[in-house]
Amino acid sequence: MTPENSPSKKSFSQKFAELFPFDWELLRHAGSEPVPYHLKKWWFCLGGTVLYLFIIQVITGIALTFYYVPTPAFAYQSVAHITNEVRFGWYIRSLHRWSSIFMIIAVFLHLLRVFFTGAYRHPRQLNWMIGFLLLGITLVFGFTGYSLIYEQLSFWGATVASNLAEAVPLIGHWLGYFLRGGPEVGENTLTRFFILHIGVLPTFAFLLISLHILLIRLHGVTELRFEGEVIPEEERHFRFWPDHATTEIMIGVLLMYLLTILALIFPASLGEPANPNVTPVHIKPEWYFYFNYRMLKLTSLKLSVLLTLALGGIAFFWPFIEEWLARKFKIDDRVPVALGTVAFLVFLVFTVWESFSH
Amino acid sequence: MQRDSTLSNKSPEKQTGETHSRRNFLAKILMGIGLLFSYGLLTVEGFLFMLPKRVKARTRKLFAGKLDQYKIGSIQAFYDLEGKQILIKRDESGLKAFSSVCPHLGCRVHWEGEKHRFFCPCHGGVFTEDGVAIAGPPADAGQSLFKVPVHVDEASGIVYIEVKDAKRRTMS
Repeated sequence: MTPENSPSKKSFSQKFAELFPFDWELLRHAGSEPVPYHLKKWWFCLGGTVLYLFIIQVITGIALTFYYVPTPAFAYQSVAHITNEVRFGWYIRSLHRWSSIFMIIAVFLHLLRVFFTGAYRHPRQLNWMIGFLLLGITLVFGFTGYSLIYEQLSFWGATVASNLAEAVPLIGHWLGYFLRGGPEVGENTLTRFFILHIGVLPTFAFLLISLHILLIRLHGVTELRFEGEVIPEEERHFRFWPDHATTEIMIGVLLMYLLTILALIFPASLGEPANPNVTPVHIKPEWYFYFNYRMLKLTSLKLSVLLTLALGGIAFFWPFIEEWLARKFKIDDRVPVALGTVAFLVFLVFTVWESFSH
Repeated sequence: MQRDSTLSNKSPEKQTGETHSRRNFLAKILMGIGLLFSYGLLTVEGFLFMLPKRVKARTRKLFAGKLDQYKIGSIQAFYDLEGKQILIKRDESGLKAFSSVCPHLGCRVHWEGEKHRFFCPCHGGVFTEDGVAIAGPPADAGQSLFKVPVHVDEASGIVYIEVKDAKRRTMS
């Protein structure tokens, strides 16, 4: 060994480079992705908002698992213990709850933004589908998380939803049994929902989010130009790092403020403990399932399940359906906008209708 | 050699290469099938592990009071061995018992005495005193409250209901 090559003669960065031979230029290159001008406005940053909220959910969720016990005998008690006795337990739980609500709203708004700006079109069809799967995962996150509390409404919500799964054609009977881990909601159901909520869903969410971001990076962000907007060519794009990252961090700080204010004014509450023998007189799912709940009241069980599956399927494959419609019937841009508006209004009307009904 | 050339005009190297590639192809197919079956079996086993065995609970008779405790037109509630409510009604024709589990999506119905009906709070299902659905999704689907077999010992007047006994069960 020559003296020049001896480890003691090397600088710290040289030593580190040998231990971790990573080409940092790659990261610099990835970070300097040009971002279109319209992303300076926060309402175009809803995808990043969802990611930020997902990180909050992961951190607060890990904190909650320190005390939560997923068994029918202790689930409710452990949530009560977190809420009433653990130091800052109420705050962590309220952050988790409010952040979940914000996340669902942000996912919906992000989906609407992508749809109405046509950002799902060729070549970004696959990313629309991944995004739609992420919406599904977010809703299942909400449902399983709410069921873990094991209060009256969450118990009966789990009962209704797992029986609802039985109406799915072909695999329904098997699916209901699989979800519950038996003929009825009980011990097996709670452990299943817990594993789904803290293990399976986060893994899939992480993989799909990574794929979603990778595809955005590979395709680039859809550039939007607005009528009457005059922006010099050199200002049409700005750098991801540090410019856009700063916007995202600012949104994150604002979100933390809002979540904390809501946690202080409306902390996560706790209803009656689950009683498998008595369904409460007033029972409702979480607001994001009002659309389905209203549909269940208006139509038969089979029809509402089939409608949900059909609408979900159409939305999932929409980019390809639209291409087919455009080829076959020569439809223009106004048709998808009109259809999207009608679908959104129906969703809104059913949700508001259900929120005002008893 | 003449004969060989009529059979194949390819060089021996090429022939050997083709045999190799054919052998490689077959090996890959066989390996693929092997992998598919082994990992497929593992996947099936994984799913079976997560799917609990279906058990058929055997039934047993449960004491439900004496016949003279039931007034005509009255409804009384009992709990089966799983803690589920069983509603027993006596009318002119005798005793009728039905489960309080709504046949729509499994919620528990409430007895509304002043309206003489059972009401399911989940999706607004309404049932008559005899358990027949008359409004809401169960009525649309023609579902009624599940009937529970009820027996009366004529000599003693003791009432029994037939309920599931989860402790006595047979695997299926």
